[in-house]
Amino acid sequence: MTGAPVVRPAGVPDGGGALPPPRAPAPPQPEPTDPAPEVAAPGAGDATPGPTPSDEPVAWYDRTRAGRAHPDKAQRQARDSQSFWTAAVGVPAVFSVLRLGVEAGGELQTTLLLVANVGPVNLLAGFLTTAARLLSTALVAIFALGAVLGVSVDRLPPGTRRRPLFARWADLAPTWLVVASFLLALVTWPLLYLPLLVPAFVAAFQLTPAQLHDRVAARVLLVAALLGGYAWLLLPTLLDAARQGELLAFALLAVPPVLAVGISGPLPGAVIRPLASVTEVVMLATLVWASLPVISTPVLPLTVTTVGPENGPTEDVRGHVVTTDDVNMVILQERGGVRYVPVDQVRAQVLCPSEEELPRHRLRIHDFHVEDSLLEGLGRRVRPVHRIDAACRAVG
Amino acid sequence: MSVSSARSTVRSVATTVAVAVTLTLAAAAGCDSRQEPDLPSVQEKLRESHIYGQPKLRIGVATNEPLMGELRNGVHSGFDVEIARYIAASLGYEGEQRLEFVGVSTEDRIPALQGGTVDLVVSSFSMTEEREKLVSFAGPYFVTTQEAMVPTRLKDRIRTIEDLRDPAYKVCTSGGSTTEAELEKHQVRTFVVKDVGDCVEGIRAGRYDAVSSDEALLAGFRSRFPTEFEIIDMPFGTSELLGIGVPIGDPALRDLVAFFLDKSYQQEREGLASSWTAAYNRTLGPWLRAEKRQPQPLDVPKLVDFDDKAPR
Repeated sequence: MTGAPVVRPAGVPDGGGALPPPRAPAPPQPEPTDPAPEVAAPGAGDATPGPTPSDEPVAWYDRTRAGRAHPDKAQRQARDSQSFWTAAVGVPAVFSVLRLGVEAGGELQTTLLLVANVGPVNLLAGFLTTAARLLSTALVAIFALGAVLGVSVDRLPPGTRRRPLFARWADLAPTWLVVASFLLALVTWPLLYLPLLVPAFVAAFQLTPAQLHDRVAARVLLVAALLGGYAWLLLPTLLDAARQGELLAFALLAVPPVLAVGISGPLPGAVIRPLASVTEVVMLATLVWASLPVISTPVLPLTVTTVGPENGPTEDVRGHVVTTDDVNMVILQERGGVRYVPVDQVRAQVLCPSEEELPRHRLRIHDFHVEDSLLEGLGRRVRPVHRIDAACRAVG
Repeated sequence: MSVSSARSTVRSVATTVAVAVTLTLAAAAGCDSRQEPDLPSVQEKLRESHIYGQPKLRIGVATNEPLMGELRNGVHSGFDVEIARYIAASLGYEGEQRLEFVGVSTEDRIPALQGGTVDLVVSSFSMTEEREKLVSFAGPYFVTTQEAMVPTRLKDRIRTIEDLRDPAYKVCTSGGSTTEAELEKHQVRTFVVKDVGDCVEGIRAGRYDAVSSDEALLAGFRSRFPTEFEIIDMPFGTSELLGIGVPIGDPALRDLVAFFLDKSYQQEREGLASSWTAAYNRTLGPWLRAEKRQPQPLDVPKLVDFDDKAPR
């Protein structure tokens, strides 16, 4: 690499940070002195709305409109990509280890026992199962807010130099990551919250009704048809929610698609700064708050083991099986403490649901429970019968 | 210019409102997902009930009512016993280690519940207003009618209630039963014994000529002596709703029992295999003249359980 700027075709996502080979020499450009992206005046002669600063990567929602994208600095790209992958691998790993400590009840010896017996792959897979929802929520929120703030920056009061943080993050994110985040959210979010994804998607890609059709009448008809179809799909659930007095559920299902119609577009200059600062703080707080349950979600499945000698009285041990060898079954009890049960005393064992899995609503969308994600709902169709074993009701 | 500026202002106001409402809804959704469920759950009701933490569940059943509740060679069997097993398993008590059947006679059912000797009674217990002042009922789980059973030799002579009033025939019934009160209403003089089984033994020994009780009980005895007895369809006109007796001071347990009876009822209605149908087919089914289905339980609470998300 000579450090000479290269031209990348517009709309091509940048994957692992490697740049395509240079195809044509670009006109020489001054090296920016400030590493932070700046708000520059719209390029002269460029008729597209919104800022396309010369030293800035073009966000995905602008790439289609911008005639061509300007090259990034290879170094910064490589660094960003490196830190992204470090975070992508490191954060789950750190979280997983923290979870083991919590799972062990804060006891050092128990933590060590778990570390010795829970494989890293299991740990990571278990973490992703429970954290996928949180992760996709955070990414979707950042991209949606970032895009809204990104198209609004030219309305910032003069003298403001830095673009809002989320807008910069959104600019840096490759399109595949944005699409992947939305897909992950689509399959992992509970159906009840899924409608929120519609305005988030529209905001993230800055879609407007104008893109549907050139003529206003056709546009109105298309939007009405889309909303009508949505209402038809959800009508039984909405009626049920109204009957049960579930106002929040009603609002969560009915309102978001309507908001999607008006969400794209620049914000007034006065609200950009407060919105950017408030959402950054709220987002951080939410992440901390929402990651607590992720840390405290058990790593191992909950079971009830019936223990007792042959023809003698039995006892139900409620807990998570850590490991089983020829001599003992090691059970981390739900109430705390580790129990070594001789293998020949194990009479029966059943898998049990935990109380966190109890539903909070009694609503269904065409036989899919509103608190199930699409994945869970499909899973229940594959194995429709769910029997709770009597032992699961037993006192631990 | 002013038109386009006005449009742009409207557009930004719309965007601001949409963003604000979306964020508010998202925040509300976040709070909602972390809230404790406000619907009562089965687990919660279990914690409220007096059986919570008990190592064993004691259920009062009849021991001398064939097809309903019978004790033979130390094994309890019958329709009531199967229903009792289903309810016990649903409450978390499965297997001989955790479930104890206590034999109760017809007249002991209420005192056993009141005195705490048993946690539940599943023993052809008719739900009546009178009894509901003393115990709670969950159900009905079976609807039956009052009938009379006579030995085969008398089947042509005793055909109506009028015939039962004839002092020449000695009519027997069990004490403390709804039948006793019903016969009294029709001015039928009765010999009251402890259990219907005693009546049947009495008829076989020649002491009585007829026995009156509910259809299911009589069908049970007929199944034991198919050639000796005949059931006579009599227009007593009242239907008996059999329910599960629960101590009056434990509404949570009553709710749970009603909830699980209803679960079986819903399964049957959807054409699935229900515990009720299985119990019925194994016991009473072949012996009743008309096929019966599980009646809809009354006063069923709305509870959430782990399997609520399963497809229906």
